[in-house]
Amino acid sequence: MKLPLPHPNHVLLAAALGGLTLAAPTPSQASVRAAKSLQQAADPIKGRVVDEKGAPLPGVNVIVKGSNNGSQTDAEGRYTIQAPADATLVFSFVGSTPQEVAIGGRTTIDVALKPDTKELADVVVVGYGTQRKADLTSAVVGVKEESFVKGATRDAGQLLQGKVAGVTIVSPSGDPTANTQILLRGSTTLNSSTQPLILIDGIPGTLNTVPPEDIESIDVLKDGSAAAIYGTRGTNGVILITTRRPQGNITPTIEYSGYVSTQRIARSPQMLTADEYRQKLAEGVAFTDQGSSTDWVKAISQSPLIHVHNLSLRGGNGKTNYLVNGNYRYFEGIFQKSNNRTFTGRADVNHSMFEGRIKLNAGILSSDNKYDATVDGGLYGNGGFNGYTYRQAILRNPTAPIDSANGRYAQQFTLFNYENPLSRIYESAGENSSQNTRLNGSLVWEPIDNLQFKGLVSNTRYDQTRGYSENKEHPSTLRDLLNGYASRGTTHVDERLVELTASYNRTIGEHRFSALAGYSYQQNTSEYYYLSNYDFPTDLFTYNNIAIGNALRAGRATMASDKSSFNLVGFFGRLTYSYKEKYLLLASVRREASSRFLGAEQPWGTFPAVSAGWRINKENFLQNASFIDDLKLRVGYGVTGTAPSQSFLGVARLGFGGNFLSNGRWTPTLGPSSNPNPFLRWEEKHEANVGLDYSFLKGRISGTVDYYVRRTNGLLYDYQVPSPPNLFTSTTANVGSLENKGLEVQLNLVPVQTKDFVWNSTFNFSTNQNRLLSLSNELYQLTNEFFNAGYTGEPIQTYTHRVQVGQPLGNFYGFKVVDVTNDGQWIYENRNGEQVAYNQFGHDDGDKQVLGNGLPKYYAGWNNNFRYKRLDLGVTMRGAFGFQILNFQRMYYENTGVTQYNRLRSAYEPVFGKAVLNTAMPLEYNSYYVENGAYWKVDNITLGYNFQSNLVKYIKNIRVYAATLNTFTITGYKGLDPEVNRIGLDPGIDNRDKFPTVRTYTLGLNLTF
Amino acid sequence: MKNFLPFARVSMLATAGLGLFGSCTKLDDQSYNQIVTSQFTPGAADVPAIVGSAYVNWRPLYLEFQGVYRINETTTDETVTPGRPNGWVDDGSYRRLHQHTWTALDPTPNFAWEQAYGGITKCNQVLFQIQSNSLVIAAADKDQTIAELRVLRASYYYILCDLFGNVPIVDRFDVPAGFLPQQSTRAQVYDFIVKEIRESLPQLSTTVSTATYGRFNNRWAAQALLAKMYQNAQVYKGQADWANCISACDAIINSNNYTLEPTQASVFATQNQGSKEIVFAIPFDEVYATGFRIHMQTLQPQNQLTYNSQGTMWGGGICAIPQFINSYNPSDNRLKTNWIQGQQLTAAGVPLNGSFGSNAGKPLVFTNTLPSVVLGSENDGFRVGKFEIKQGVLVDLSNDFPLFRYADVLMMKAEALLRTGQGAQAATLVTQVRQRNFLANPALATVTAADLAQGSSYPYGPANNNVVSPVQGGADIQYGRFLDELGWEFAAEGHRRQDMIRFGVYTTKSWLSHTPNGAYRTLMPIPQNVLNTNSNLKQNPGY
Repeated sequence: MKLPLPHPNHVLLAAALGGLTLAAPTPSQASVRAAKSLQQAADPIKGRVVDEKGAPLPGVNVIVKGSNNGSQTDAEGRYTIQAPADATLVFSFVGSTPQEVAIGGRTTIDVALKPDTKELADVVVVGYGTQRKADLTSAVVGVKEESFVKGATRDAGQLLQGKVAGVTIVSPSGDPTANTQILLRGSTTLNSSTQPLILIDGIPGTLNTVPPEDIESIDVLKDGSAAAIYGTRGTNGVILITTRRPQGNITPTIEYSGYVSTQRIARSPQMLTADEYRQKLAEGVAFTDQGSSTDWVKAISQSPLIHVHNLSLRGGNGKTNYLVNGNYRYFEGIFQKSNNRTFTGRADVNHSMFEGRIKLNAGILSSDNKYDATVDGGLYGNGGFNGYTYRQAILRNPTAPIDSANGRYAQQFTLFNYENPLSRIYESAGENSSQNTRLNGSLVWEPIDNLQFKGLVSNTRYDQTRGYSENKEHPSTLRDLLNGYASRGTTHVDERLVELTASYNRTIGEHRFSALAGYSYQQNTSEYYYLSNYDFPTDLFTYNNIAIGNALRAGRATMASDKSSFNLVGFFGRLTYSYKEKYLLLASVRREASSRFLGAEQPWGTFPAVSAGWRINKENFLQNASFIDDLKLRVGYGVTGTAPSQSFLGVARLGFGGNFLSNGRWTPTLGPSSNPNPFLRWEEKHEANVGLDYSFLKGRISGTVDYYVRRTNGLLYDYQVPSPPNLFTSTTANVGSLENKGLEVQLNLVPVQTKDFVWNSTFNFSTNQNRLLSLSNELYQLTNEFFNAGYTGEPIQTYTHRVQVGQPLGNFYGFKVVDVTNDGQWIYENRNGEQVAYNQFGHDDGDKQVLGNGLPKYYAGWNNNFRYKRLDLGVTMRGAFGFQILNFQRMYYENTGVTQYNRLRSAYEPVFGKAVLNTAMPLEYNSYYVENGAYWKVDNITLGYNFQSNLVKYIKNIRVYAATLNTFTITGYKGLDPEVNRIGLDPGIDNRDKFPTVRTYTLGLNLTF
Repeated sequence: MKNFLPFARVSMLATAGLGLFGSCTKLDDQSYNQIVTSQFTPGAADVPAIVGSAYVNWRPLYLEFQGVYRINETTTDETVTPGRPNGWVDDGSYRRLHQHTWTALDPTPNFAWEQAYGGITKCNQVLFQIQSNSLVIAAADKDQTIAELRVLRASYYYILCDLFGNVPIVDRFDVPAGFLPQQSTRAQVYDFIVKEIRESLPQLSTTVSTATYGRFNNRWAAQALLAKMYQNAQVYKGQADWANCISACDAIINSNNYTLEPTQASVFATQNQGSKEIVFAIPFDEVYATGFRIHMQTLQPQNQLTYNSQGTMWGGGICAIPQFINSYNPSDNRLKTNWIQGQQLTAAGVPLNGSFGSNAGKPLVFTNTLPSVVLGSENDGFRVGKFEIKQGVLVDLSNDFPLFRYADVLMMKAEALLRTGQGAQAATLVTQVRQRNFLANPALATVTAADLAQGSSYPYGPANNNVVSPVQGGADIQYGRFLDELGWEFAAEGHRRQDMIRFGVYTTKSWLSHTPNGAYRTLMPIPQNVLNTNSNLKQNPGY
């Protein structure tokens, strides 16, 4: 029997009836119930879903709007679903625009889905504005919140780890005060920073200016043609961080996200335990048994607690809207007294008036940061946990007791550089606290349609206060007789920015133009104070009453201050043109001057860029290739620059230096500070980029391929010059040139897409090849074309790397051991390739050779997201290949001749499988400690569950998740973590004092009210 | 017209904006911590600070970790930096110094070159400032200041002449852009130094006071430098000049400004400034002018308790070569005062124990032993104790480092007399210097011309595990006894290399782990860094 189709009037009737039977329900509740009561009786609705060309679409999700009732199309694109006659069906499919169709009493509903151009219509934040993704002509990658790394992320950098091809982000330290390191498309400089320009809503900042939970998206301008609009600051790429913003008409919404985490050391150094140590002693090693059993690394460790809370409130209407965000981060590290606490508050208000002709924005951001310091920060320093304390824990005798009989920490000061690590932690007190406050505002005036003037001002002030003290039980008094030590220091940085831009857009038929012109002024002032004192009458005041120390009166206290400032003035313009969205063109230029060049002949530099794109799929010959959603070829070229990090290098300067005994009085002398270089100019990076953006099969397969060549000319460095006649043996100059080239592939796949189960997989791969082309020019001639870099530290005291023309940066350079004798003495390979025994080997610099390279040649990442119904699982993995690591821990702690310190268990592994190292072999830097660094890291695993909406009254969304970070690493590297420092001229050094990396476990909760 | 108005407003704004741009392109030109030279006119009060800047290099040049002291001491038969249980191998650089296998890439010669020329270029700059009147000095002082700076510059060239020989002479600051100095021969460098000093002498002060202490405005300091040049004329120029050496020494002796201290130790005391024996010293101070750290390099960490020092000593780098110690007469007081030896004690007199290996817990006793340059124990070798280490020393010593002292003047004259056939007069001077060291047994102080004509008592020959084999001895060294006298009197003062070269021993004899490695080793190689930047320079022969 067929029931009549429910008619709206019937529903109303039913509602009325319901209203009579139930105690005063609202009409809408009544109608829902009524609909449900009729649902069972309704006929199933059937239909077929096709694409725009009429081909059937399998796997399309069909859902009754506002319910959990859903179905899916079969191979023929057919579906069946039970739904009330007045309901609305939602058809959704990856790569297509979701479509809503009101049933309106029908039983058969056929739908043609249109390809989703949303992906292409997405805007990407580019320099001084946004661009439609479709219009991009350069290598720009945007990562949205949902793709971020989840869990206890330390800063914005970690959110992107492994996500973007060509952008390698490492967290080489487990210190909760440490930041991630970003290296974009290789090392392009010798001396300058490799840190990309980080803009937070257009204002320069750092990776931790805003907490990760307050970030909505991050866009990375990779190639020179994109970054050139930022001229001198864009050489290392630009990372544009967009915070959560109020937009449009929003009902007041409160979002809470929070998590608790704990950490474990990712891998512990395998030093001899007390038992093993005693066994070696029994075997004749000249160790000393002190009668106890202590695991020193454990003794300084703790089970850390981390908890983070983020609360944001958004609301407003089309005219005025606002956002308030509060974030508290409490981090403890794996070592005692290693921690970091930050509260960040941010408010942002938008107002639009005069029919949208004027738009105002005002923002305030303030963060309070505090952490324990076990290191004296000095004049410029920061420093959380003292790496030297960790060193003391590693090398301390495992049979030594923690406490001595008198209840103090047991010490043994007659051994050089040997201190009880716990005494270093607990007989010192230190705290660094800082406040970072940013005020910003902007005004947009649109006098006529398509023409906009914008003014943006911001002021960022950073103030840090440091205090550090060592009491009278600290080695500094027990051994060095300081009788109590204290220091204080401050850092103050003030940064101002003014940016004025005018932009104009116009579309004439198939031609679309945009133009931008602007002016930018940035001023930065830094001030530092520091003082220290010792010989205190009491420990009571730690560093808070520093004047009572007697060293001040004896003339032995230290005091220092410094101040510097610089500014940057830039003018810029950009034109874009597109024809039929098929042919795209962009040209920009920035002209910029820096006060760093004051006194030099040319402080101004010009940084042009041009790029073009061709949407091949819009051509007629591809009209029928329906599997192609997008295919775009891009070509770009751009120039960016770098200024030296010091001012006044172009002019002769005098500075006060060492004292001179003048008539019985010590007088500070006034002498030249450096060789002036009036020809100092911008270091310039010229970058060419060819790229292909592709998207096939309704977005099931998409991605980009880029190839770049970056050449840095006029490399700034302190070049060797002849002295005499020069005052000093080096001059900061623009001499060498360096090349980086590489390929980047990004592939996004949706291998499975069903109603209940979706699998997204993204894969990225990149290569980087780096070569120093020259170290000479007409003014600076080097006959040997190399210089050395890196340092082993004492007691080995030699350089570790060589920077040589024709070679890549990062080459390890030292003695090569090829074998050992049967009694464990090194056998080297000399400069002639001959094997030479230890005692015959002169250890001459000429016998050193390249032992490897610390910069990876290949990087890869593979990220997967699975969603099954309400359950989701994310796994991010990344790896680096083709590089070596100099393992300092092995170099220092595998030596068998050093008996006053503990050693690694691996010291007893036969060298080259032949013999344990002879005790007569001194500590030495050689190829045996240079290891293959290749690794594959399963980093972030997140398992989450989204509860049904409105499960709890007033709460719209609930999500819980569990995550791990740095989960495990597959590597042959013997050290703690192959992901080591890659910055600077000595990359690949795994420093022995490095705070070990950690594995993090997190439980998190997100709520929306 | 409706659309016109906004455009007008825009253009007005643009005009205003352009005006704004003009004032916003100014570059920040404030220097907060250094003086931009072109914006600075020095006054009379700045003269000591500016002139003094040219002296500052002497401190690191001589005593910095890789300073000239290390070359002049540890390449010789007197001291060595052996490997120790806690390190001191440092890429083999100390061992290469001992075995005369250093290269142009070694850090020590490079450091000396940089510091010496750093001092020279500063002298040139200040001279240029004075001569071009950009630094105005009172007329009465001008000539003396110029003369002082010329001698100071000559003193840096003396180090270069002694170490490298064939170096470029640059005596002016206002050189054209891209100027690359030409290399001079060692003889030319010698002549230049002698000429500079001689021309300057008349303008220098004859008064010895705090105003001339540690400076070359002191005529006698300049004379001592001149005497040093003449003493080494045969080596530097290939032609001896003993007569001039004697007259330079006589000028100092006859000025009656200097005498021998009653004890040698007082020349090296913490408060040795103003000692009547010091002709020229490099002033140091634990607070104002740091860098005197020989004790940090020579002592064991435990010795921190001996002196209640604020710094932990670095673990025993430099020590005496046992063969050298064996050459002393056991009654010579200098054997005890110049070398730290035997059981080490805390300041309170409690014996200290060893820390390393089988030595741990056993008495820390510095013995006159050393198996080889490769590895010494913490007990091996007597340590440098010539310079007083005061109780409660910070990290740096306040002792001034005497570069020229009166005993040296007497011995230079004695050598000149000895080599010109006036042995008896030479012996008188040598005896005069010896006397204070044999107070308990004065007869032993006396030496005769016949004694001085004898060879050396140094038991030369390669030594392994404290056995010298084969024994070469020093009997064949002409005036070897006089060389021994120089060794005993000036031990650990950085004289030895020069003296050994002058007596022909430096590259011909063996000691400890050293065997002769070529006569060319009397000159250091010109550092590779320097050759890289100045194509006019040629490496010294042999390297």
